[in-house]
Amino acid sequence: MPSATMHILLVEPEPMLRRTVAMTARSLGLGQVHEAATSAAALRLLSVRRFQGAVIAVECVGSGKDSRYDLGLIDRLRAEAAAAEQALSIAIMTETATPELLSDLRERQISRVILKPFRAKVVLETIEKICRSQKA
Amino acid sequence: MLIAATPDNEAERLAALHALLILDTPAEARFDKIVAFAAAEFDVPVVLITLVDSQRQWFKSRVGTEVCETGRDVSFCAHAILQPAIFVVNDTHRDPRFADNPLVTDGPLIRFYAGAPLIMPSGLCLGTLCLIDRRPRELGAMELGILGTLRDLVVMELGNISEVTDA
Repeated sequence: MPSATMHILLVEPEPMLRRTVAMTARSLGLGQVHEAATSAAALRLLSVRRFQGAVIAVECVGSGKDSRYDLGLIDRLRAEAAAAEQALSIAIMTETATPELLSDLRERQISRVILKPFRAKVVLETIEKICRSQKA
Repeated sequence: MLIAATPDNEAERLAALHALLILDTPAEARFDKIVAFAAAEFDVPVVLITLVDSQRQWFKSRVGTEVCETGRDVSFCAHAILQPAIFVVNDTHRDPRFADNPLVTDGPLIRFYAGAPLIMPSGLCLGTLCLIDRRPRELGAMELGILGTLRDLVVMELGNISEVTDA
Protein backbone atom coordinates (compact mmCIF):
# COMPACT_ATOMS: atom_id res chain seq x y z
CA MET A 1 0.00 0.00 0.00
CA PRO A 2 1.27 3.55 -0.68
CA SER A 3 2.48 5.75 2.14
CA ALA A 4 -0.22 7.15 4.42
CA THR A 5 1.48 10.55 4.38
CA MET A 6 0.25 11.47 0.90
CA HIS A 7 -2.18 14.36 1.03
CA ILE A 8 -4.93 14.25 -1.57
CA LEU A 9 -7.56 16.91 -2.21
CA LEU A 10 -11.04 15.62 -3.02
CA VAL A 11 -13.54 18.17 -4.30
CA GLU A 12 -16.99 16.61 -4.63
CA PRO A 13 -20.37 18.15 -3.77
CA GLU A 14 -22.16 14.88 -2.93
CA PRO A 15 -21.47 14.26 0.78
CA MET A 16 -22.02 10.49 0.85
CA LEU A 17 -19.52 9.83 -1.93
CA ARG A 18 -17.01 12.31 -0.53
CA ARG A 19 -17.23 10.95 3.01
CA THR A 20 -17.09 7.31 1.90
CA VAL A 21 -13.97 7.90 -0.19
CA ALA A 22 -12.19 9.86 2.54
CA MET A 23 -12.98 7.38 5.31
CA THR A 24 -12.15 4.32 3.21
CA ALA A 25 -8.87 5.82 2.00
CA ARG A 26 -7.93 6.38 5.62
CA SER A 27 -8.91 2.87 6.71
CA LEU A 28 -6.98 1.28 3.84
CA GLY A 29 -3.92 3.48 4.38
CA LEU A 30 -4.11 4.97 0.88
CA GLY A 31 -3.37 8.49 2.04
CA GLN A 32 -4.93 11.44 3.82
CA VAL A 33 -7.91 12.65 1.79
CA HIS A 34 -8.95 16.23 2.51
CA GLU A 35 -12.59 16.89 1.67
CA ALA A 36 -14.07 19.97 0.07
CA ALA A 37 -17.64 20.31 -1.14
CA THR A 38 -16.95 23.34 -3.34
CA SER A 39 -14.09 25.08 -5.13
CA ALA A 40 -14.28 27.86 -2.55
CA ALA A 41 -13.78 25.35 0.27
CA ALA A 42 -10.92 23.77 -1.68
CA LEU A 43 -9.22 27.16 -2.06
CA ARG A 44 -9.39 27.62 1.70
CA LEU A 45 -7.66 24.24 2.15
CA LEU A 46 -5.05 25.25 -0.44
CA SER A 47 -4.14 28.29 1.63
CA VAL A 48 -3.00 26.09 4.52
CA ARG A 49 -1.69 22.91 2.88
CA ARG A 50 0.06 21.56 -0.20
CA PHE A 51 -1.29 18.45 -1.90
CA GLN A 52 0.44 15.68 -3.83
CA GLY A 53 -2.71 14.91 -5.81
CA ALA A 54 -6.29 15.98 -6.38
CA VAL A 55 -9.56 14.50 -7.58
CA ILE A 56 -11.92 17.27 -8.57
CA ALA A 57 -15.56 17.19 -9.67
CA VAL A 58 -15.80 19.68 -12.53
CA GLU A 59 -19.14 21.34 -13.13
CA CYS A 60 -20.53 23.20 -16.08
CA VAL A 61 -21.36 26.80 -15.16
CA GLY A 62 -23.51 29.28 -17.02
CA SER A 63 -26.14 28.39 -19.60
CA GLY A 64 -26.57 28.19 -23.35
CA LYS A 65 -23.70 29.61 -25.40
CA ASP A 66 -22.10 31.04 -22.26
CA SER A 67 -21.84 27.67 -20.51
CA ARG A 68 -18.32 26.50 -19.72
CA TYR A 69 -16.51 24.15 -17.39
CA ASP A 70 -15.05 25.82 -14.34
CA LEU A 71 -11.37 24.88 -14.42
CA GLY A 72 -10.19 27.74 -12.21
CA LEU A 73 -9.33 25.49 -9.29
CA ILE A 74 -7.23 23.24 -11.51
CA ASP A 75 -5.33 26.27 -12.85
CA ARG A 76 -4.71 27.47 -9.32
CA LEU A 77 -3.44 24.03 -8.22
CA ARG A 78 -1.13 23.84 -11.25
CA ALA A 79 0.22 27.33 -10.62
CA GLU A 80 0.97 26.62 -6.96
CA ALA A 81 2.60 23.29 -7.77
CA ALA A 82 4.75 24.94 -10.46
CA ALA A 83 5.80 27.70 -8.08
CA ALA A 84 6.83 25.08 -5.53
CA GLU A 85 8.44 22.90 -8.25
CA GLN A 86 6.27 20.08 -6.97
CA ALA A 87 4.76 17.20 -8.97
CA LEU A 88 0.98 17.13 -8.83
CA SER A 89 -1.37 14.50 -10.29
CA ILE A 90 -4.91 15.68 -10.95
CA ALA A 91 -7.94 13.57 -11.92
CA ILE A 92 -11.35 15.01 -12.61
CA MET A 93 -14.92 13.79 -12.37
CA THR A 94 -17.49 15.03 -14.83
CA GLU A 95 -20.92 14.08 -16.14
CA THR A 96 -19.90 14.18 -19.78
CA ALA A 97 -16.64 14.72 -21.63
CA THR A 98 -17.04 17.05 -24.60
CA PRO A 99 -14.18 17.39 -27.12
CA GLU A 100 -13.67 20.98 -25.91
CA LEU A 101 -13.39 19.86 -22.29
CA LEU A 102 -10.99 17.05 -23.16
CA SER A 103 -8.82 19.52 -25.08
CA ASP A 104 -8.78 21.87 -22.08
CA LEU A 105 -7.94 18.97 -19.77
CA ARG A 106 -5.06 17.79 -21.96
CA GLU A 107 -3.55 21.28 -21.76
CA ARG A 108 -3.74 21.01 -18.00
CA GLN A 109 -2.10 17.56 -17.85
CA ILE A 110 -5.06 15.81 -16.26
CA SER A 111 -4.13 12.21 -15.49
CA ARG A 112 -7.62 10.69 -15.53
CA VAL A 113 -11.21 11.59 -16.35
CA ILE A 114 -13.89 9.77 -14.32
CA LEU A 115 -17.33 9.82 -15.91
CA LYS A 116 -20.72 9.32 -14.24
CA PRO A 117 -21.95 7.21 -12.53
CA PHE A 118 -19.32 8.04 -9.93
CA ARG A 119 -18.41 5.11 -7.73
CA ALA A 120 -16.33 5.26 -4.57
CA LYS A 121 -14.27 2.30 -5.78
CA VAL A 122 -13.24 4.09 -8.98
CA VAL A 123 -12.32 7.25 -7.08
CA LEU A 124 -10.32 5.21 -4.56
CA GLU A 125 -8.48 3.33 -7.32
CA THR A 126 -7.62 6.70 -8.85
CA ILE A 127 -6.29 7.96 -5.53
CA GLU A 128 -4.27 4.77 -5.13
CA LYS A 129 -2.70 5.32 -8.58
CA ILE A 130 -1.96 8.97 -7.79
CA CYS A 131 -0.22 7.96 -4.56
CA ARG A 132 1.80 5.28 -6.33
CA SER A 133 2.86 7.64 -9.11
CA GLN A 134 3.91 10.29 -6.60
CA LYS A 135 5.90 7.75 -4.62
CA ALA A 136 7.68 6.37 -7.72
CA MET B 1 -29.10 -25.54 7.25
CA LEU B 2 -27.07 -24.35 10.19
CA ILE B 3 -28.95 -22.13 12.64
CA ALA B 4 -26.67 -19.46 14.08
CA ALA B 5 -25.50 -19.76 17.66
CA THR B 6 -26.72 -17.22 20.20
CA PRO B 7 -24.06 -14.66 21.18
CA ASP B 8 -22.67 -15.03 24.71
CA ASN B 9 -23.75 -11.47 25.49
CA GLU B 10 -27.28 -11.93 24.08
CA ALA B 11 -29.11 -10.41 27.07
CA GLU B 12 -26.95 -7.28 27.04
CA ARG B 13 -27.14 -7.10 23.26
CA LEU B 14 -30.93 -7.24 23.23
CA ALA B 15 -31.13 -4.71 26.07
CA ALA B 16 -28.98 -2.29 24.06
CA LEU B 17 -31.05 -2.85 20.93
CA HIS B 18 -34.36 -2.33 22.72
CA ALA B 19 -33.01 0.77 24.51
CA LEU B 20 -32.54 2.45 21.12
CA LEU B 21 -36.35 2.40 20.66
CA ILE B 22 -35.75 1.93 16.95
CA LEU B 23 -37.49 -1.39 16.27
CA ASP B 24 -40.66 -1.07 14.16
CA THR B 25 -40.12 2.65 13.59
CA PRO B 26 -40.74 4.22 10.15
CA ALA B 27 -38.08 4.53 7.47
CA GLU B 28 -35.64 7.42 7.88
CA ALA B 29 -33.80 9.25 5.11
CA ARG B 30 -30.47 9.22 6.98
CA PHE B 31 -30.41 5.41 6.88
CA ASP B 32 -32.10 5.06 3.48
CA LYS B 33 -29.48 7.22 1.76
CA ILE B 34 -26.69 4.91 3.00
CA VAL B 35 -28.56 1.84 1.76
CA ALA B 36 -29.29 3.44 -1.62
CA PHE B 37 -25.65 4.45 -1.98
CA ALA B 38 -24.52 0.88 -1.20
CA ALA B 39 -26.94 -0.61 -3.75
CA ALA B 40 -25.55 1.67 -6.48
CA GLU B 41 -21.92 1.32 -5.40
CA PHE B 42 -21.94 -2.49 -5.34
CA ASP B 43 -24.58 -2.97 -8.05
CA VAL B 44 -26.55 -5.44 -5.92
CA PRO B 45 -30.34 -5.90 -6.01
CA VAL B 46 -30.85 -6.02 -2.24
CA VAL B 47 -29.27 -4.00 0.57
CA LEU B 48 -30.54 -4.02 4.15
CA ILE B 49 -29.87 -2.50 7.52
CA THR B 50 -30.94 -5.38 9.77
CA LEU B 51 -31.40 -5.35 13.51
CA VAL B 52 -31.31 -8.81 15.05
CA ASP B 53 -34.06 -9.11 17.65
CA SER B 54 -34.72 -12.14 19.89
CA GLN B 55 -36.77 -14.12 17.37
CA ARG B 56 -36.55 -12.07 14.18
CA GLN B 57 -34.37 -9.79 12.11
CA TRP B 58 -36.08 -6.49 11.38
CA PHE B 59 -35.04 -4.17 8.55
CA LYS B 60 -34.61 -0.52 9.48
CA SER B 61 -33.83 0.31 5.87
CA ARG B 62 -34.17 -1.77 2.72
CA VAL B 63 -33.69 -1.68 -1.02
CA GLY B 64 -34.94 -4.46 -3.27
CA THR B 65 -37.47 -6.16 -0.99
CA GLU B 66 -40.91 -5.36 0.37
CA VAL B 67 -40.42 -7.69 3.33
CA CYS B 68 -39.69 -5.83 6.59
CA GLU B 69 -38.55 -8.80 8.71
CA THR B 70 -37.76 -12.52 8.65
CA GLY B 71 -37.30 -15.17 11.32
CA ARG B 72 -33.96 -15.22 13.11
CA ASP B 73 -33.67 -18.98 12.54
CA VAL B 74 -33.11 -18.48 8.79
CA SER B 75 -31.16 -15.24 9.15
CA PHE B 76 -27.71 -14.84 7.58
CA CYS B 77 -27.22 -11.75 9.74
CA ALA B 78 -27.59 -13.87 12.89
CA HIS B 79 -24.33 -15.51 11.76
CA ALA B 80 -22.73 -12.19 10.85
CA ILE B 81 -23.23 -10.69 14.33
CA LEU B 82 -21.12 -13.48 15.85
CA GLN B 83 -17.84 -12.08 14.49
CA PRO B 84 -16.24 -8.64 14.25
CA ALA B 85 -15.13 -9.02 10.61
CA ILE B 86 -17.41 -8.67 7.59
CA PHE B 87 -19.15 -12.02 7.04
CA VAL B 88 -19.10 -13.08 3.38
CA VAL B 89 -20.75 -16.04 1.67
CA ASN B 90 -19.53 -15.94 -1.93
CA ASP B 91 -21.87 -18.68 -3.19
CA THR B 92 -24.59 -20.09 -0.96
CA HIS B 93 -25.01 -23.11 -3.23
CA ARG B 94 -21.47 -24.17 -2.34
CA ASP B 95 -21.82 -23.52 1.38
CA PRO B 96 -23.40 -26.37 3.41
CA ARG B 97 -24.44 -23.89 6.13
CA PHE B 98 -26.78 -22.11 3.73
CA ALA B 99 -27.41 -24.28 0.64
CA ASP B 100 -30.80 -25.50 1.92
CA ASN B 101 -31.76 -22.28 3.71
CA PRO B 102 -35.29 -21.27 2.59
CA LEU B 103 -33.98 -17.78 1.76
CA VAL B 104 -31.67 -19.52 -0.73
CA THR B 105 -34.01 -22.20 -2.14
CA ASP B 106 -37.04 -19.88 -2.24
CA GLY B 107 -37.43 -16.08 -2.41
CA PRO B 108 -35.31 -13.94 -2.32
CA LEU B 109 -32.98 -16.65 -3.75
CA ILE B 110 -29.87 -15.43 -1.97
CA ARG B 111 -26.73 -16.54 -3.76
CA PHE B 112 -24.26 -14.00 -2.37
CA TYR B 113 -24.25 -12.37 1.06
CA ALA B 114 -21.91 -9.86 2.72
CA GLY B 115 -22.86 -8.55 6.16
CA ALA B 116 -20.88 -5.90 8.03
CA PRO B 117 -21.68 -6.17 11.75
CA LEU B 118 -23.05 -3.02 13.40
CA ILE B 119 -20.80 -2.97 16.44
CA MET B 120 -21.61 -0.12 18.78
CA PRO B 121 -18.94 1.69 20.85
CA SER B 122 -20.01 -0.56 23.75
CA GLY B 123 -18.81 -3.56 21.74
CA LEU B 124 -22.33 -4.94 21.39
CA CYS B 125 -23.38 -5.97 17.89
CA LEU B 126 -26.96 -5.05 17.05
CA GLY B 127 -27.29 -6.14 13.42
CA THR B 128 -25.67 -5.64 10.05
CA LEU B 129 -25.46 -3.58 6.92
CA CYS B 130 -25.71 -6.34 4.33
CA LEU B 131 -25.49 -6.80 0.58
CA ILE B 132 -27.41 -9.58 -1.17
CA ASP B 133 -27.12 -10.74 -4.76
CA ARG B 134 -28.76 -13.49 -6.77
CA ARG B 135 -25.49 -14.50 -8.38
CA PRO B 136 -22.17 -15.59 -6.87
CA ARG B 137 -19.75 -12.75 -6.17
CA GLU B 138 -16.47 -11.93 -4.52
CA LEU B 139 -15.45 -8.70 -2.84
CA GLY B 140 -11.90 -7.36 -3.05
CA ALA B 141 -10.06 -5.52 -0.27
CA MET B 142 -11.18 -2.13 -1.52
CA GLU B 143 -14.85 -3.18 -1.72
CA LEU B 144 -14.67 -4.63 1.79
CA GLY B 145 -13.17 -1.32 2.91
CA ILE B 146 -16.05 0.62 1.33
CA LEU B 147 -18.63 -1.67 2.94
CA GLY B 148 -16.87 -1.21 6.28
CA THR B 149 -17.04 2.57 5.86
CA LEU B 150 -20.75 2.50 5.06
CA ARG B 151 -21.27 0.29 8.10
CA ASP B 152 -19.40 2.88 10.20
CA LEU B 153 -21.76 5.57 8.91
CA VAL B 154 -24.77 3.46 9.98
CA VAL B 155 -23.23 2.94 13.43
CA MET B 156 -22.69 6.71 13.73
CA GLU B 157 -26.36 7.29 12.94
CA LEU B 158 -27.43 4.66 15.49
CA GLY B 159 -25.16 6.43 17.98
CA ASN B 160 -26.98 9.68 17.30
CA ILE B 161 -30.21 7.99 18.33
CA SER B 162 -28.53 6.82 21.50
CA GLU B 163 -27.35 10.34 22.30
CA VAL B 164 -30.85 11.72 21.82
CA THR B 165 -32.27 8.98 24.05
CA ASP B 166 -29.73 9.73 26.77
CA ALA B 167 -30.36 13.49 26.70
